[in-house]
Amino acid sequence: MTSRPELTGHASLFYNQKEARKYHSSSRMIGVQREITERAMELLRLDPNTPALILDVGCGSGLSGQILEENGHVWLGCDVSRDMLTVANNTAKQQSQQPPKEESMQQDDSDDEEEEEEEEGASTGDLMHHDMGTGLPFRPATFDACISISALQWLCYSNSKNQNPKKRLLRFFSSLYTVLKRGGRAVLQFYPETADQAVLISETATKVGFAGGVVVDYPNSAKAKKHYLVLSFDRSSTQQQQQQQRPLTTGMHEQQQQQHVTVGSTMEGANNKKKKAPKKKKGVKTKEWIVHKKAMQRKKGKDVRPDTKYTARRRPHKF
Amino acid sequence: MRLLTHNTLRNNTADAKGKGFPLKITATEIRVEETAPTMEVDRQVAFCKNMLSRLDWPALVQASRDMGIPTLPPVLTDEMAHDTAFLQALYKILMQVHLEQGMLTCPVTGREFPVTNGIPNMLLEEEECEHVKL
Repeated sequence: MTSRPELTGHASLFYNQKEARKYHSSSRMIGVQREITERAMELLRLDPNTPALILDVGCGSGLSGQILEENGHVWLGCDVSRDMLTVANNTAKQQSQQPPKEESMQQDDSDDEEEEEEEEGASTGDLMHHDMGTGLPFRPATFDACISISALQWLCYSNSKNQNPKKRLLRFFSSLYTVLKRGGRAVLQFYPETADQAVLISETATKVGFAGGVVVDYPNSAKAKKHYLVLSFDRSSTQQQQQQQRPLTTGMHEQQQQQHVTVGSTMEGANNKKKKAPKKKKGVKTKEWIVHKKAMQRKKGKDVRPDTKYTARRRPHKF
Repeated sequence: MRLLTHNTLRNNTADAKGKGFPLKITATEIRVEETAPTMEVDRQVAFCKNMLSRLDWPALVQASRDMGIPTLPPVLTDEMAHDTAFLQALYKILMQVHLEQGMLTCPVTGREFPVTNGIPNMLLEEEECEHVKL
């Protein structure tokens, strides 16, 4: 196994039956996934008292969904690997057949609530076989929130000739923008191979209209380093003051969004500084420039060819 | 696949032009769960209340009929939206009725999405997808 499974081919080929079972039973994986999902939930800032409908993109074997369930939310997971979904499905069915025992898992803060229920046990999640690069197949404004754990980087690779990573990313984000409820948030954790990938992903997200940026946890550790793309519709909080100062033009708008793309800082810290658009540089070899330069040389007393109609004129052909 | 999920699904191929909803259900196997998902009753009701504005009611009524549940009223009234017993029943229909085997058909293009073992296959070919301009 290479250190980057993305390079070995399609996700559904990598996560085959064997890999899926391994993934779901590995205590290290479970631990890592749990930690990431909990952090993602924190970044989502959902109201814990309102049960929400959450989309889990790249749900895999449903490890992240379990956390959503424990928080009392309803989720819908989609994944491109059928084998992973089968594992998730089997787990969910087992759960629904056996009523839950007093598990050690229920040690979190929702403990007191969960003691009241007795007969319940089925999963609140539902599954769907789908490739996120083809756009999310949902009606507009359906989901309260979206999470994605360790999946987004798969979009940066193309597995066949007709797959264009940029197009697939754009399709994913624009469909995500429509299926989220206004005011909803999306937290997408991913493993970029290079810094360029992180920029590409966050730039595509802002292109479709999202506000937000990348939060990097443990930036100094190679292993624990985690990238979270936090997206929201709420562009007002950080930009309100700026919008008062600036005239609203479409050009400005785009520029503002561009500045929101910050890699390596928290979203709150992404206060976009006011930056003037750089002046458009004129070509260096304009006629005025050459004439000016020749005049300067003449002033210095150098032997300079006289200015004629041929000065600074382009050659009709190369030497 | 739950009825809740069905209510959110839409065929997003380029041909459907965003109108691929609601998908028609042809059920061959239906499973009704006896136990409700892990959620206390208050939360179930709150969830339904939260979802009511987002549900496409006529589509849900039709889908539940296709799944053999004719009990949903054809029109949703304000009183029902505040009726706890009704919301609880609605939660059951949304969450506990599963389509295990069957077919989903797009009303616009006729594209079929098979459902096997409770998982709908919404995979698309690259050529079918909506075109995006870079």
